[in-house]
Amino acid sequence: MPSFDQVLLPALQRIEPDEADYAANMATLHDTAKGPMTPRLELPADEYWAYTTHRDPVLRLGVGFGVPLAKDPEGHNHIHGNATIDPRTGAAVRSDQLKIGSEWFYPMHYSLHLNWMYLGVFIVGLAALVMMAALVTGVIMHRKIFREFFTFRPKKHTQRSALDLHNMTGVVALPFHFFFAFTGLVIFAAYYYLPVSQFQLKPLHDRHEVIEAQETGLPHQAAGVAAPLSSVDAMVTEAKRRWAARDMAGEVGYLVVHHVGDANSYVSIYRAGSDRVALVGEGIHFKASTGEVLLEDPPRSPVAEINEFLTGLHLQHFEHWFLRWLYVLGGLLGCVCLATGFIFFVEKRKSAHAKAGGQGSRVVDALAVTTVTGMVIAAVGMLVVNRLLPADMAGKGDWEKLAFWGIWLLAMVHAFARSGPVAQARMNPAWREQCWTLAALCVAAVALNAVTTGDHLVRTVFIETYWAVAGVDLSLLVTAGLAVWAARQLGLRERTLPRASAHERSVEVAHV
Amino acid sequence: MSEALWLLLASALSLTGMGWIALSMEVHWGQVMHRHAQDAADQRQWLRWAGFTALPVSLLACLMADRPSMAVLVWILLLAASAITVSMVLVWRPKWLLALGRLAGPR
Repeated sequence: MPSFDQVLLPALQRIEPDEADYAANMATLHDTAKGPMTPRLELPADEYWAYTTHRDPVLRLGVGFGVPLAKDPEGHNHIHGNATIDPRTGAAVRSDQLKIGSEWFYPMHYSLHLNWMYLGVFIVGLAALVMMAALVTGVIMHRKIFREFFTFRPKKHTQRSALDLHNMTGVVALPFHFFFAFTGLVIFAAYYYLPVSQFQLKPLHDRHEVIEAQETGLPHQAAGVAAPLSSVDAMVTEAKRRWAARDMAGEVGYLVVHHVGDANSYVSIYRAGSDRVALVGEGIHFKASTGEVLLEDPPRSPVAEINEFLTGLHLQHFEHWFLRWLYVLGGLLGCVCLATGFIFFVEKRKSAHAKAGGQGSRVVDALAVTTVTGMVIAAVGMLVVNRLLPADMAGKGDWEKLAFWGIWLLAMVHAFARSGPVAQARMNPAWREQCWTLAALCVAAVALNAVTTGDHLVRTVFIETYWAVAGVDLSLLVTAGLAVWAARQLGLRERTLPRASAHERSVEVAHV
Repeated sequence: MSEALWLLLASALSLTGMGWIALSMEVHWGQVMHRHAQDAADQRQWLRWAGFTALPVSLLACLMADRPSMAVLVWILLLAASAITVSMVLVWRPKWLLALGRLAGPR
């Protein structure tokens, strides 16, 4: 984290309360009986925060602005204003530029971007619960779990080889799949799924907060007396010294200034979790006006330690690149498990549906194409669009989001339009065509990145090594290679299969 | 020894361990060695024992590289990676496992 006094504080002081947040919440929080509503730009800053991990090229910070005449002065009265800066210079990054990783793919994995009534969060939670049940029942169903542990028979019919792969990828990475579904639920349980502290137990929760503040000696309320902020950099140095003394030397990951500008103001400094699985903050709290240490977080209870380990296991802040790539492998094995499950489902019913004239397997197959190849096409397509749109375009991020949905929709239309052969127990050519499309998009994304940013692979690998960029480019090229291979294999199969089925038909005719 | 070398050793141990366990199984022994599994009951028993020893030793190597919480995660995922690798080698390049099988002795 860069210097607070030199870089972060000026950036924080430039932040204004968010217009949308003010419009949506100010009238609810403000008590008209006590006086007129404070205009947006005159709201006093009450809280500063800054957050970063070793994975982020940018730094996020924000201000919680106080509501002077609040209905409930004891409550959480904040109008927020957030910003992203370049940590090297402190220059603000334009807010309509979408951070495709942390603002698109990351929230998508837990909210599906369906924010109405937290619908997406609940769908994902339900899916995680079903996944855990499916893993357990799958293991029970799969009776030859140890005898067929290494068994993959690609030369047998598709149904058999798909099931082999489905079993194998499910079983070998079973702990990974299970723990990710489980820890995901744990992380959201207290906030979304079972928020007892906000409903049934809210009075207890609020009382606990006050008692905790008394026990820790950290002021829960502002004193109402103005006081200056002393050097936060000096506090950071002291926090680092204390961590090093505990044999936990580390960087700052999260920093909060509470009750900004007040005599009761204090600064909380937390450690970044880059060297271990458990996300241990080891928070140290300083009096803002003097810089003296008010409190060091006490040792954690076993329950808190388990929770921190499970959370850290899922959020993977650690800087262990080998383990991070093993996680990628675990995730990919999960993808293979899902895709082969889809294929097995369709293969098992295709012939029966073809004979009975049913359309069920045709619909499922088209949905499988949409989710398996279609979604990757949409994701890579979004990267291509990001490079094609001009950098200074207004609302560029919104266009990129639109591109993602649009491309995915096109992939679905294509999958359904080409699904005719499935109804005759043959293969949907959309599988092959979308593999070719994916390969082309991957190569285009790498080429466009080289042309528009100048960060081509020769440079990012050899001249000015920049693995974050090189890693994405190399992964895209590997994806392109795999997609070409898959497309060619599918093409071979499409050419040989119709003949085989024609042969079967003639045999049947001969028997009759 | 440095962290990377321990991790390399852990990967090698988990990969060979999985290879030995696979070879100790009837089907895969035949697939690789082109001989009847019944004729090599002793060798296969030995491989089974070696395989199930190599995997925990691989965990020890992980523990030498990282703190325990991290090492366990690395080990569990290494096992998955090794099992998949061995399965794919068995299908596409079974000859690569010949050397592992021969370690169990001649005949």
